Amino acid sequence: MHIRKYDFNYGRRQLMKNVAMGAGAGVLMPLSKLFAAEQSIAKAYPDELMSIEMYTKGKIKPGDFITAQNVDVVKELLDPIVYDQIKTMNRKIKIRATETDLTKMFPYEYYDATMRNLKNGLAGKFNADGNVVMPDGSNWAGGMPFPDPKTGDEVQANMAMSWGRGDYNQYAINDTVFNPDGSKGYSYDLVWAELQVQGRCDGKVFRDMKDLVRLQTVLFTATQDVAGSSFLSTWYYDQRKFPDLYGYLPQFRRVRQFPTNQRFEPLIPGVTWFLSDAWAAGDPMRTWGEYKILERKPMLGAFNSNWGGADSDNWVHNVHGGPTGETFFDVEYELAPEVVVLESKPVGYPRSPVGRRIAYCDVRNSLFCGCIRFDRQDKPWVNFEAGFGQYKAGDKEVKGPDGKNTAWSWTYVMSFDSQTRRMSRIAHQKECTGGYQSIFKQGEDEKMYSRFFTQQALQRLGQV
Amino acid sequence: MNSTRFRIAAWVMAHRGWAALFFALVTLGFAAGIPGVTIKTIFSDLLPKDDPFVQVFKDHPNFGNPLTVTVMIKRTDGQDIYNPETLGKVWQFTRDIDLTPGINHDSLISIATEKARYAEATPDGVDMRPLMEDSVPDTDEEIADFRRRVEQSPNVRTFYVSGDETATLVTAAFLENLLEYDVVFEQVQQLAEQYRDEHHELYVVGQPILTGWVYKLQEQTYTIFGITLLALVVALALYMRNVAGTLTPIVCSATAAIWGFGLVGWITSPIEPLLMIVPLLLIARSFSHCVQFTERFYEIYAQIKDKRKAAEITMGVMMAPSILGVITDALGIVFIAVAPIPAMERFALFCGFWAFCIIPTGVFLISILLSYLPAPRNIEAIVAEKDDAGFHALQKRALERIASRTYGPKARLTTAVFTIIAIAAIALSFQIKIGNPVEGSNLLWEDSDFNTAIRAVNDHFPGVNTLEIVLEARERDINNRIARTPGVVEVSMAIQAMVEADETMPPRATLSFTDYMMEGNRLFSGGNPKWLPLDPTDSAVRAAGNAVVFGTNPVNFSHITDFEFQNSTISLWYKDNKQETVDAALASARRAVEAVGTDHEAFTVRLASGTIALQQAMNVVVSRYHWLILGLLNFAIFVVATYAYRSVVAAVIVLIPVNLSNFLLTATMHVMGIGLDINSVMVAVLGVGVGIDYGIYLLSRICEEFTSQGHDWGKAITAALTTTGKAIMFTATIMLIGILPWYFLSDLKFMADMGLLLVAIMLINMVLALMVLPLLVWLIKPKFAAREDLMVGESVDLTQFMDSDPPSAMRAVPAAG
Repeated sequence: MHIRKYDFNYGRRQLMKNVAMGAGAGVLMPLSKLFAAEQSIAKAYPDELMSIEMYTKGKIKPGDFITAQNVDVVKELLDPIVYDQIKTMNRKIKIRATETDLTKMFPYEYYDATMRNLKNGLAGKFNADGNVVMPDGSNWAGGMPFPDPKTGDEVQANMAMSWGRGDYNQYAINDTVFNPDGSKGYSYDLVWAELQVQGRCDGKVFRDMKDLVRLQTVLFTATQDVAGSSFLSTWYYDQRKFPDLYGYLPQFRRVRQFPTNQRFEPLIPGVTWFLSDAWAAGDPMRTWGEYKILERKPMLGAFNSNWGGADSDNWVHNVHGGPTGETFFDVEYELAPEVVVLESKPVGYPRSPVGRRIAYCDVRNSLFCGCIRFDRQDKPWVNFEAGFGQYKAGDKEVKGPDGKNTAWSWTYVMSFDSQTRRMSRIAHQKECTGGYQSIFKQGEDEKMYSRFFTQQALQRLGQV
Repeated sequence: MNSTRFRIAAWVMAHRGWAALFFALVTLGFAAGIPGVTIKTIFSDLLPKDDPFVQVFKDHPNFGNPLTVTVMIKRTDGQDIYNPETLGKVWQFTRDIDLTPGINHDSLISIATEKARYAEATPDGVDMRPLMEDSVPDTDEEIADFRRRVEQSPNVRTFYVSGDETATLVTAAFLENLLEYDVVFEQVQQLAEQYRDEHHELYVVGQPILTGWVYKLQEQTYTIFGITLLALVVALALYMRNVAGTLTPIVCSATAAIWGFGLVGWITSPIEPLLMIVPLLLIARSFSHCVQFTERFYEIYAQIKDKRKAAEITMGVMMAPSILGVITDALGIVFIAVAPIPAMERFALFCGFWAFCIIPTGVFLISILLSYLPAPRNIEAIVAEKDDAGFHALQKRALERIASRTYGPKARLTTAVFTIIAIAAIALSFQIKIGNPVEGSNLLWEDSDFNTAIRAVNDHFPGVNTLEIVLEARERDINNRIARTPGVVEVSMAIQAMVEADETMPPRATLSFTDYMMEGNRLFSGGNPKWLPLDPTDSAVRAAGNAVVFGTNPVNFSHITDFEFQNSTISLWYKDNKQETVDAALASARRAVEAVGTDHEAFTVRLASGTIALQQAMNVVVSRYHWLILGLLNFAIFVVATYAYRSVVAAVIVLIPVNLSNFLLTATMHVMGIGLDINSVMVAVLGVGVGIDYGIYLLSRICEEFTSQGHDWGKAITAALTTTGKAIMFTATIMLIGILPWYFLSDLKFMADMGLLLVAIMLINMVLALMVLPLLVWLIKPKFAAREDLMVGESVDLTQFMDSDPPSAMRAVPAAG
């Protein structure tokens, strides 16, 4: 017989208390202790925060779908824009059981680096400039700097220091834009290449570029009109500095330098998202500010979500909903026992049309399941919903950089402009037009650098 | 009295309880539909739907910025905008307008936004930077550098900074699904007021603002409606001076109104508030009908002393003339629907049905009410008051004098005068111009804030008078963006070159997406103007398109191409929208389009949208339907009048004065420099519908008097004018009370114009009915006048209904309602 030691709302009350006290994650015990001891997180939370069935008193259980008919039962657990999509746009979401195994919530290498730091008693801190550094003041050497974040800054730093949580990430992507009437307006194929220069899992500094944190390139391969066009961003370690942004148009053989502070426009015509939105940390961390934990609460989100490989060989999820039945991916949500509702403001952009951003971050791995950009009237504008998880479904599996452990990455993004009612539906595919593939590999950084991250590289890519 | 009319009357009164219940139930049924009534202006529904220009506009509503608010910030003390104070205002205004609900944040552009950019060539390519950095230029050096940047940005230089550098624009588009016109209007106007000072004036224009003005002034419309209604009720009470006589017209008119509103509520057809003057006309008409009916009832009741019997007789007597009168009113409204303008069609259904409802309420319901309501104690006084003292005597003498001019020897002079007037009026009326252009909106006065702002913007920038030539993609294919293909580039450039070289009317400016692509091509090719032209290859044009659109939102080009770069437009700006400009602009565009051809492999060239084209569409619909509607109405009335009088000559006699009224009105408008527009068409049609009543009643009376006055035309005319003529004057007065205040009180020019024109035509109709109709009768001396079986006759021998009193055939007091 299972004896309940706490009343039903104990967990939520305790989370509220934790916010007031500035405490870290965990209700029954600090999550960090379980993290360090590599134990199940179930011990940190009462049952109703670990089970959607208990939370909803049996109304919804794993395997059920959240639809317009029952969404009100879990309204308080959802991103409000997602709630609206379910309620009014025929979206439905399958519910899965809450994951308790922390090792499944990270790429193996990143988890390993984080554990290494924990065992060595190394934790990140902010220097006088607000940048994350090692205890000795040197640049951060890799892994999650704040495994038990207690402040908004720490949560943001966990997301900002290493976007894809790998040393080299290459994603083959399709971004399809749906008009309010459900018709397709744009469909781009692109390759997103991301080379972590510092804060790497291997603890090294790439080419001794100590002033940089990452290099990142976007290369468009379809549609025909944009094929060969690319953007290169050079990110400084100093999070107060704007990245350099260059665009390359192959037909002109010219590089266009974009204004560094122009972050609130779509990179390409039609898409709903700004550079600012990506990773809930698309701008240098210190060009935003006033990071504040508004709330700690349980939440439904695409944490440890299903991988599209189960639906298609190219890893693209099946679709449903919206005016033409294509607007939403078939994705699964789980109940995260504790999510930090993190508010931040674009303090470094005097002309920003954005008033603030709210990101929903899972304390288990300090990753967002979605963020909402609000306009200056404080009306919800665009959300950026992302699913992360292991690349494994039944007997299908993709191996990670070490070739042994299961790959882990983002699986999809849906960015919905709730004002114009446009949707950017982004798939992390196995392959995109031009033959580019998603890659989880180690040891090819030099090769990738010359392939993607120089102005000459952009020109070469444009010739393809 | 065995005629059908009297049999119906007898049956209704025999079952008056059931009939009353029937009216109550039907009224409740219609009243239940009233919550579904929506009163709103749908601007696009004011345009003729079958016009090819309007179809282009509806297919491509985005071209021409219908959802954009444009604010011009003007330095008024002679300085230019390049100073910290003005630039600071532009910066902060831009920030503040972004707080307006429903704004599309991506679309906000001013010289203070990052979207206004300049480009500089660098060794590797091109560096595109915002004109203004992250703060307002403050020092002399910063301001000089800012001015240099503006000069390096040709688009900004043309469209965002005026030629004399004293004014700049802030443009913001709104999202249709979130746009609340009244909120946007209030907030932007408030903001503009806040930023005005002794050195700066702000002008606010754009379709959302125009809509805001119309909505705001519609609130005023309801006030005027209330005032006018009150005036009508007061006039009614003063005239009747008893409760039953006042209450009956109000109940009957209200019932007809409930039926009319109920119908549109049930079928959820929105009511156009700009036309609210016509319902008031209907209320006035309903009052007038009811007053005549009630007066007649009192006269009969004074003799019969039995309310129910008196009501039955009145119903029998008044049925035919009332129904005929209402039918002519209603036909005048219904025929408006012939013009294919959706708002007018809906309006004709609403008001036409309402008008027809005056038949059951003004004939049957009124009789039932009068039979139940207590008879006034002053019945003898009411009946005896007529014709003998004060104003009535004065009126009588004036009418006798008028009558004396219409027969006998004096008629020759009157005939000569009216013949000359008629010839002159017809000759002048054919010279009237079609179209009544106002720079800005014809809904508002020339000196209204909005039209003043439009003129100011037109004075400083290419302006708002555009002609849009649309290049419409045959297929929507996300792999082939037609607006960025060589075919479109070639056609755009050819058309722009041809119209710009037009000798008669070159546009002030032209713009197409090709212009943006050429500029992109130049910049990415190193900045030399020799790189402006695009190679006519897919790859070159695609590249130039990408150079423009990368890093931006397509909504920034929504004035010139759609979100997906499939359809695009060539915008031509003209100095005004006067008819000669409209004609020349369209001729020039037609020549250019003819030269390049309309059908191309991937797209079609469609003429046209924009202010200029839509103005033309409104003019064309007037010229297409003006005569047709009047002709149809004349024909319908001809049939009705011929049937009623059993005489073609009678129909001709009643139609001549109303048509002459129209010619007179049109001639007067021409002399006053007013063009013929859709308002005047409506007025003409309503004028014929209402004016024909006067003729029918007067002619009927003349016929009756002709018999009773021993076939003496002069006496018959005099007797008719001093009785029915008086009633015509009463009716005209009631109408004036209902309509004239609109001219003085309404800030909506559209409504005031309608009010003035309606008043004018009603007065002209009255004068012509009183003078020209008797004159025609005198000249023609029609044979049908001697007949005693006219269905429109109102005489009745009351002795048939009386048990005792000495026989006295009482002559009917005429109705002209």
